[in-house]
Amino acid sequence: MRAARKKPQETGFAPLIQFEMDMATFLSDWQHCDQLSTFMARMISHNRMDPIRHSNFFSFALNELLEVSFRGGSPEGRLDCTVYRHDLKERVRLSFRCPPGQQEFYREAIAKTHQEDALGRYLSAISMDQTPNREVILLDLAINFDADLHLEEHAPSDITFVADLPLERALS
Amino acid sequence: MNAIVFSAPFTAEFDANNQEFSLAGVIRPHSVDEIAASISMLKSAIADVRGVLHINLRRLVQMNNTAFQAISRVVLDACRARPDLRFVVVTSSVVGWTERMFTHLNRIEPRVTVEVYDSKFYPGQSFVEDTSFIPILRTQTKMTWRHERTILPRHGMRPGIVMADICCGIGDFAILVKKEFQPTRIVALDHSKASLDYARDMAARFGIADVEYTYGDASEMLLEDNQFDLVTCRHSLQIFNRPTALLKELYRICKPGGRVYITNEKNSHCLGEPRSQSIQWTYDEVAKLFSHFEMDVEFGPKSRRHLVDAGFDDILVESFMVTNLDGDPQDFADVIAAWEQVYAGEMAVKRGDPPEFIERFRQGFRDHIFAALHPKGYAGWPIWAASGRKPL
Repeated sequence: MRAARKKPQETGFAPLIQFEMDMATFLSDWQHCDQLSTFMARMISHNRMDPIRHSNFFSFALNELLEVSFRGGSPEGRLDCTVYRHDLKERVRLSFRCPPGQQEFYREAIAKTHQEDALGRYLSAISMDQTPNREVILLDLAINFDADLHLEEHAPSDITFVADLPLERALS
Repeated sequence: MNAIVFSAPFTAEFDANNQEFSLAGVIRPHSVDEIAASISMLKSAIADVRGVLHINLRRLVQMNNTAFQAISRVVLDACRARPDLRFVVVTSSVVGWTERMFTHLNRIEPRVTVEVYDSKFYPGQSFVEDTSFIPILRTQTKMTWRHERTILPRHGMRPGIVMADICCGIGDFAILVKKEFQPTRIVALDHSKASLDYARDMAARFGIADVEYTYGDASEMLLEDNQFDLVTCRHSLQIFNRPTALLKELYRICKPGGRVYITNEKNSHCLGEPRSQSIQWTYDEVAKLFSHFEMDVEFGPKSRRHLVDAGFDDILVESFMVTNLDGDPQDFADVIAAWEQVYAGEMAVKRGDPPEFIERFRQGFRDHIFAALHPKGYAGWPIWAASGRKPL
């Protein structure tokens, strides 16, 4: 396994909820991103300090990750999404199959979220581009949601995003 | 399990009179083409306005980056093409990510500014949010609960329901309901973070972990349509300057066949013996004072009309009198003393009333306390409880 950056902390995160779906089924309807993110957010937020607002924040972040997999995934294999919790953080681990050569793109995109010029890149993109690319969406999560993003590559054609989201802290 | 309501369709509107473009709901398009009509409306609005365009996002529940970037691009392009124009993006303090995301536009183009809609929620908020008022709010709930615990079942309260308490304040009513009626789920919403902090502490102290306290604007809630069997909203329509807007939201989140329960006062009907005339004068003035601050503490008997106008049927209205004979008379006296402090000591002063008026105003409260504590006295505080059913 290769990691785009240092491996995220593994201890302490307990699984909350998981779903699996055929990628082909997932890719058959754009609304799946909204429906899955809304449902998952509602399920995991009920015992947060402010369940309604936590759900709203989490839904935004998960929807963006699902949209990235929708736009960049290939119709083989399965989409696998697990949400974990440790203290004030939720972790989303999202795996899907992507076309050959895409790993390098994601590796670079994730690395850019950790670079010092991340905000400048983000501002430049929203200033100039008509529509967001997947890199900008990941920057958005890092900048506006304080997400700590990592990548895992278990097989040549599989990608796993790991996003740590400190939303409870942002809401308090 | 409750039905999950997925994304409601979003709306885009342009109000030419106020030069305001508004987006509401969930906007998560696959491509910009799906929101082309809204983008076109925004471009037309920009062409139509002079000086400033307000972009109202207070009712925006969700937006994806596709929509954000499309809107941002239109706004930033307009800034470059129209040096005479500036943009004010109005976000809600409830949906924090909108402020974070749109504030970036200001870094790119200073003529785009972001305003967070918050403290102007309702005019009386600053008066009742003072933490010194909390013990009195608890005493008030204790006094009204003696009546409401028997009234509520007639208005749809029963075990196992899904309910919301809107404008929950310090959350004590939600805790009492949870203990007495065991609803399956209870969401308690308020716009005061200080009150909610207090509510969470109290719930934890009583070992109640499943009241979902949430920060929100009661007139523009994040809660989905048709969710609750019972929606309660106590003593709040009367201190809200737009009760019709609030009732519309209560109606929206109530399930068809469910009920909305409201309580309100008619302050001029507060009474006491002895010294009834002084008491009467003061409470007549209370009504006028609240009216000055756009609040209607005479709302109680108007409940039926408001519920009918909001579209409810099967309307029930009843009233009850909290008196000095309910429990400890000192509780009643303590509440009146707190009213004197807030109404005469703060609100009348803020209105600019002369000292002689304030002194006479205070005397009525003191006489009400005198009546409450008098061994042969009687003091009352009338409240109207009403509910309506959302038609199936």
